[in-house]
Amino acid sequence: MREFTLTDMERLGAFDEAERTFQMTEEAFRTFYELTARPVRVYLGRMTNDDRLADDLLQETYYRFLRSNVPFENDDHRRRYLYRIATNLVHDHRRKPHVEIPSAVLPEPAPRFTEPTLAERAARRIDLQRAMARLKPRERSMLWLAYALGWSHEEIAASIGVKTGSLKPLLHRARQRLAGLLKTGGRS
Amino acid sequence: MSGIDCTYEPAVVTAVLSGQFPRGCDEALVAHARECEVCREVSAIATLMHDDHDRARYEVQVPASGQVWWRAAVRARLDSTQASMRPMTWLHGITAAVAVGVMLAVMGAAWPMLMPVVERVWAMVAGYFPSADVANAVANGLRLSAMLGLIGAAILVVAPLALYFALSDD
Repeated sequence: MREFTLTDMERLGAFDEAERTFQMTEEAFRTFYELTARPVRVYLGRMTNDDRLADDLLQETYYRFLRSNVPFENDDHRRRYLYRIATNLVHDHRRKPHVEIPSAVLPEPAPRFTEPTLAERAARRIDLQRAMARLKPRERSMLWLAYALGWSHEEIAASIGVKTGSLKPLLHRARQRLAGLLKTGGRS
Repeated sequence: MSGIDCTYEPAVVTAVLSGQFPRGCDEALVAHARECEVCREVSAIATLMHDDHDRARYEVQVPASGQVWWRAAVRARLDSTQASMRPMTWLHGITAAVAVGVMLAVMGAAWPMLMPVVERVWAMVAGYFPSADVANAVANGLRLSAMLGLIGAAILVVAPLALYFALSDD
């Protein structure tokens, strides 16, 4: 039989504590995490343009989610709440002074309906990331939730904290800005 | 269509996100997207974002759920420990304030009692000095020494307390 060390005992204590303060069990969390971690990490990465920061915010997002006392109606509600926490964390971080990371230089293929080559797709992805980096944080959130995740206007409005009626013009403006930036390869 | 949105927009987004745009979805929708400025823009942006999202999902590294859970558990424990320690920190502050107050009160009470002793000592030694000026200087020195003694005693009590609070974790 394996001996219990002090660390093991502490871990057991910590898990007991967690089970009491967290809103779900470890088993339920594992299932939820497997479904959401990657999309949320990608979202955070695209919102921050900083992988290390995105990793930190991912941990913080799940911590705040586990400590929340919100009674969730269903899995969609739970998922939207998770994105809301992530969005708020990114916006909170943006309010602090930070250093802008320069993006890489690349050529500019315009969007079209024909199938692009692998190289074109890679270049477009970099253009998109560069263009997204030039948008305001709220514009990035709106566009990503609408066009990468396919959320409805109501869901986006609830997630970023604006009225549904205000979302259409905001989304339109953000989309036009992004389209304009993409035409110049992500440069202003 | 209102200029800023189009009724076909959700259908275009759904088709793009399901990977069926432009091939595999309704021809009429593709034709509409070619003509409608909003849907053309939406389809272009959604295609780019969907592609980026799909690829990034496989490229991105996320920690195991157990690791995230464990870190969150440790953090929750630390947070709850800090929350439970907060009243103790308050109590420490109050204790320190009371100690300083008591010290000042003792000094204030001891000073008038000390003065007669100083005066008596001065009266005893005054006769040994040849002039009044020298005697006054010695008396003033005695008063000053008494005051310095009291301040020194106060520091001896307050200094360990101050060190304790300065070096404590909070």
